[in-house]
Amino acid sequence: MELMKLEIVTPSGVIFDAEVKQVTLPGSEGEFGVLPKHATLVSLLDTGVIVIEKADGSEVAVAINSGYVKVDEEKTTCIVDGAVALSGGDSDLAKALEAAKELLKSAESSNTAIASAVAKVEQIGKSL
Amino acid sequence: MANLKEIKRKIGSVKNTQKTTNAMKLVSSAKLKRTEELAKRSRVYAAKLTELLNEIAQKMHHSNAEGLDNVFFKDASNPKRVDIIFITADKGLCGGFNSQTIKRTSQLIADYKAKGVKLRLRAVGRKGIDFFKFNNVELNDEIIGLSAAPDFAQAAEFISEVSESYVNGETDKIILVHNGYVNMITQEIRQDQVLPVDASKIELSSKSTSELEVEPDDDDTLLDALVKRYVEYTMYYSLIDSLAAEHSARMQAMDAATKNAKEMVKELNVKYNKARQESITTELIEIISGMESMK
Repeated sequence: MELMKLEIVTPSGVIFDAEVKQVTLPGSEGEFGVLPKHATLVSLLDTGVIVIEKADGSEVAVAINSGYVKVDEEKTTCIVDGAVALSGGDSDLAKALEAAKELLKSAESSNTAIASAVAKVEQIGKSL
Repeated sequence: MANLKEIKRKIGSVKNTQKTTNAMKLVSSAKLKRTEELAKRSRVYAAKLTELLNEIAQKMHHSNAEGLDNVFFKDASNPKRVDIIFITADKGLCGGFNSQTIKRTSQLIADYKAKGVKLRLRAVGRKGIDFFKFNNVELNDEIIGLSAAPDFAQAAEFISEVSESYVNGETDKIILVHNGYVNMITQEIRQDQVLPVDASKIELSSKSTSELEVEPDDDDTLLDALVKRYVEYTMYYSLIDSLAAEHSARMQAMDAATKNAKEMVKELNVKYNKARQESITTELIEIISGMESMK
């Protein structure tokens, strides 16, 4: 399977930088998935959860409040204001979940977007 | 004898000063390290954001025959009203750090005044505010405490007021002056045009071949949001940059002060020893001559 580069950058540094199979992003016009060789695209990101399928098939979720994404054939760059990563097998998962919910609730976004994002985070917390 | 005592007192006082300056130097070097780290991390974000903004502006440039007609990309070669924001430290004792910024700002003011441009000044940091107040220059906005502890929310609030007045047409150009950090021993005055975004600086080099798609479809929504974020971040980054420069300047100044104090103690010690020897010699001569006269 082909891979593409994914970068997630926040004001406090790069939090994700690796080769991935697929990524699902919470665009302002609706959620969309990106596979390698996607056409060039720039979109606003809404409050929500970025779901990443890593090269080894495992899934990672990152809760974000808002930002932008720039997609081109080789590389996807997410520029977000605030992000909390939720990954499986992490001993601090409970803490991360709390932090993610906190972040989502503080976002300046519509209540429905926040509610659906929080629900998603909870779901991910259960499945991990 | 009074002279001896005097010198001894002086040595003590200089030694105390040396201790203080040395401590300040250590504090600044610790703070510099932290600020440098902060700057390094936010630099990545700033770089990506600028890159994205450039790409979108470029795309709009191509799709629109007359170039960009967005309000943020206006031509500002002949502005009528200019806002100048300048960042200084809240504290002194950092060499020429503050005076350099003030000098450049004054120069800018003089330049624009000569062209008959209306000016508004916005000051960040106590030192700059004090200087211009003392010289009876009117300041439109002043904020203390932000340059010592940069905070994104506060910086955004400060700058959004300025960019709002830009959007409303109250000003044609916003310039940001600050003293930036280059390395441990060098600072450099930076003068950035915050708004309008300088379209000529945008690099027209696209690696991607496919047409850039934008979501939401309305170009302006995305661009407005991006520019707003870009401006906020420019402000925030300048504050961090300025703080790093302040600490490095203070470190240098305090290092020089410590060295000078050391030199002074050395000189005073020589003086003290000379004075001591002199007094011993005089005493000896007195004793000898006294004995001679008794013979």
